[in-house]
Amino acid sequence: MVKSVFMVAIVVVCLVGGFSGGYLAASMISSQGSNGGAMTFTDDQGRNVTIDGYPERIVSVAPTPTEMLFAVGAGDLVVGVDGYSDYPVATENITKVGDFELNIEQIVTLKPDLILSSDLVPTEDLEMLASNGIPYLVIADETINDVFASIRLVGNVTNHAADATALVSSLKARITAVTNITLAAGVSKPKVYIEYYPYWTFGPGSFGNDLIKLAGGKNVADDQNNEYASVTDEYVVAKNPDIIVYTTGAYMPNNVTEIVSRPGWSLVTAVENSDVYPLDDNLISRYGPRIVDGLEQLAEIVHPELF
Amino acid sequence: MGKQAGSDDRFSRIRQRRVGMLLLLLDLLIVSVMLCVFIGYAGMSVSDPLIVQIIGAIRLPRVLLAGLVGAGLACAGMAMQAVFRNSMADPFIIGVSSGAAVGAAAIGMIGAGIGIGGILLSFTQPMFAFLGAIITVFAVYKLGTAKGKVHVDTLLLSGVAVAAFLGAMTSFMIFVANKQYDILAHWLLGSLQATNWIEVGITAFPVIIGILIIFYYGRDLNVLLLGEEAAHNLGGNPESLKKTMLAVAAIMTSVAVAFTGIIGFVGLMIPHMMRLVVGPDHRMLAPASVLGGASFLIWADALSRSVMMVPVGVVTALLGGPFFLFLLRRKKLRGDGE
Amino acid sequence: MKLEIKDLALSFDGKKILKDISLSVEEGEFLSLMGPNGSGKTTLLRCIMNYLTPEHGAVLVDMKSVHTMPDRELAQLFAVVPQTSQMDFEFTAYEMVMMGRTPHSRSRFSGLSKRDDEAVAEVMRCTNTWKFADREFSGLSGGERQRVIIARALAQEPKILLLDEPTVFLDITGQLEIMDLLRELNKGGLTIIAVMHDINLASRYCSKIALIHEGRIESHGKPEEVFTPENIVRIYDVDVIVRKDPLTNSVSVIPRNTSSISPMHGTRVHILCGGGSGGHLASDLIDAGYAPSAGVINVLDSDFELAKDLHVPVVTEIPFAQVSDDAYSQNQKMIRESEAVVVADFPVGPGNLRNLEAAMLALEWGKAVFVMNGDSIGDRDFVGGKAGKIVGDLIRKGAVTVNEKRELIALIGKKLGR
Repeated sequence: MVKSVFMVAIVVVCLVGGFSGGYLAASMISSQGSNGGAMTFTDDQGRNVTIDGYPERIVSVAPTPTEMLFAVGAGDLVVGVDGYSDYPVATENITKVGDFELNIEQIVTLKPDLILSSDLVPTEDLEMLASNGIPYLVIADETINDVFASIRLVGNVTNHAADATALVSSLKARITAVTNITLAAGVSKPKVYIEYYPYWTFGPGSFGNDLIKLAGGKNVADDQNNEYASVTDEYVVAKNPDIIVYTTGAYMPNNVTEIVSRPGWSLVTAVENSDVYPLDDNLISRYGPRIVDGLEQLAEIVHPELF
Repeated sequence: MGKQAGSDDRFSRIRQRRVGMLLLLLDLLIVSVMLCVFIGYAGMSVSDPLIVQIIGAIRLPRVLLAGLVGAGLACAGMAMQAVFRNSMADPFIIGVSSGAAVGAAAIGMIGAGIGIGGILLSFTQPMFAFLGAIITVFAVYKLGTAKGKVHVDTLLLSGVAVAAFLGAMTSFMIFVANKQYDILAHWLLGSLQATNWIEVGITAFPVIIGILIIFYYGRDLNVLLLGEEAAHNLGGNPESLKKTMLAVAAIMTSVAVAFTGIIGFVGLMIPHMMRLVVGPDHRMLAPASVLGGASFLIWADALSRSVMMVPVGVVTALLGGPFFLFLLRRKKLRGDGE
Repeated sequence: MKLEIKDLALSFDGKKILKDISLSVEEGEFLSLMGPNGSGKTTLLRCIMNYLTPEHGAVLVDMKSVHTMPDRELAQLFAVVPQTSQMDFEFTAYEMVMMGRTPHSRSRFSGLSKRDDEAVAEVMRCTNTWKFADREFSGLSGGERQRVIIARALAQEPKILLLDEPTVFLDITGQLEIMDLLRELNKGGLTIIAVMHDINLASRYCSKIALIHEGRIESHGKPEEVFTPENIVRIYDVDVIVRKDPLTNSVSVIPRNTSSISPMHGTRVHILCGGGSGGHLASDLIDAGYAPSAGVINVLDSDFELAKDLHVPVVTEIPFAQVSDDAYSQNQKMIRESEAVVVADFPVGPGNLRNLEAAMLALEWGKAVFVMNGDSIGDRDFVGGKAGKIVGDLIRKGAVTVNEKRELIALIGKKLGR
């Protein structure tokens, strides 16, 4: 037994030493910048990243940053994207660097000077790229204002600050245009149930919930505990939504026929009146500029009489 | 007398041949490392100066970790098969994988709640996975031991029960975590992606020390297979040996799993394959498993990052599933033929 | 070399398994530890090999306690053959036996020496297992595997061989193979202590038996001294007949048919028999709760042997003699003491005609008389028809004829109201 205790001690020492060393090394490398045109930016995870001059070759490893890059006019700088980045159309011709698993070697051969990522990409992949001299910025948004901030960040980093500001203004204007109508006095708030996966909906605190509010509806699931909540047949039937929205996309199994044939749902107002509508999933799950497209479409669904 | 001399030769010739196989395996490992370091992103020519950086910073640590983890899992699997006297045992049988999964899922879930993300998470997740694994093994060990004697049948069952319970907990956490599932999924599938030199360094110590300890007890593991009474009689001290093996296997496996996630079937398959090559004597089988396991995982990882573009755990499962069925069939046939 | 067990006691989970065991074993003995399930015999064996530690007492070999012996010394003193050896791995028989050489190797890293190869070959030859040295151990039959394990034990070059129920999973061929081998080894000077369950095998092969019951030694000695009906009934709670077998000169134990014993009402029934006709009747009557007696039988008659075994009171006569007056009056006495009399289907000659005549007396005295197979009296009459006449008279005067043994018990019961 003494031997085992000894071994455990060795392992613990290695782990603690290794991790501390690794952390130090990693934080040093990723903030490594050279002198001269060095600029420091703070990404959405609060990391301070210094780059040496504006980037000329960018690899984006998540769909939302990709969309932001193109939206601020920096699409020509993008030399590689992940397999899930499919908007805009121009991405079709850009080199794909892996989807579920990123091909780190391939990214390195593309010799980018910056990586843009979301918070769903494993950090160790990004750290590996950083330790090879390629800095990365993480885009992670919870609210619409966060999205605006991220767009400005992307604009600043790519020397398209003016384009970014203009984009943000136009997005704000579009949102205001919608809310002037939907949130005007005397406008009713239909009950809306939105589903991004069978029996999964957006709860309070989520983007989807915010969008429904802005679109002039009331989210039936705003009493749930989770941002992403699972519901049952009885719950939905009891809430009796006026409008049902389901998202569509490459991996979405949702469809109208299945929804209306669920037990008890034929009693729901939305089903009785055939108010069951599809919505492109990417417009409400990618927290980028197209979230406003999502809002506009949702507003038309919720208040067809006003648009 | 003549016949006796002839028979002696027969057995020592077999032994010599087996040592030869060991040397062959060593060569195989060296060649594998050298070759696989050149396997990777195909769209790059060998003369590109970037290659040095890529091999040094990305591929070499990955190949070395694959070797270490493959060797460690195979050797630990062999030790577990001896302790449980069961050729179907693998290194995760004592709860390492289910404990590690719970640890990793837990920190992912807690982290999401209190805002631990990014670097801090990639830092703490292996720690929590390791802790989860070790705590679980300890619990399973306590359940399977009475009055200081390890009852391997009870230990096996308690491992199964605990794994089932923890599996349910992990599923629940995944259910609740939803967005964080992506991060956990990468870990659960078992992958050597983005291996850095720190991970290699940390893993090297327990794996190498653990392997040496198992080598040391090679003869005793043979005797352990004979049953409790016979092992005791022949001087094998079965109780202390079982505990040592469990501790060593647990630590080696937990460290490996903490970084790579759950890479299955290596610990089960390699000892079996090596038994066919060098026989069941653990003094030969242990080094053979180490060499064979290392080569195997190095190649599986090379395959997973070049041709198949999936996490290496998927590759080992694809190879391992049919192999497991083949093993079962062979056992069944042998049993019936008696 | 002398093994002594002194005042051994051991408890498990609070329950006393061994209470105060003392025993000594001389060199060259073949000792069997026997007793019913749960008596503690396997626990005792495990204490001897130091696998279990007793709470009290010691196991000494030449005055040295096994508890103080280093592992190596123990391994060269005792070699153990467990009940079964299941092996999930593909070791050959040779490799299995070679593991027995472990206590003889200098260090854990030293390879195998020529001496080891020679020792293995030798023990495999003497256990007749050399021919499958190359074959996989798990592919051998039960008896072959046990012999390989014995070879492994012998490879340890032990002074004492310990076996735990070596024949329990073997068929009869396997059992005899193993026991014959053990006897050979014992003749060659090896001391053997074996836990066994088969009384007949043990008494045939072992020189000494230790009978253990509820953690104590109830009897220790040669088989015929230990295996008495009293001991067996007391310890195994089984009614048996104990015979000395003339062929093997060993004691053998035959359990009586004790299924469905009726309450003993002890009604006396006298059986007139001889020539093997009455033994089974006596047995059936005992099972039905009666207390039979028999007569007049000569002492060489098989009915006499059986009656003695069953503790049935018998009137005897010397062989080849006519029934004497003395015997005849004893017979009458027994009849008078009985409520029923059964006339078995014995061959009637001048020597035992008086048995038949006694049946007439029984009728006159008002006893219930039953005649077995009265019809066949013609074949059994060797007194010129006199027997047939007596039988005929018996029947006319009220004796009941019975053709099937089975019917007898029922008819007696009806007649006597039992």
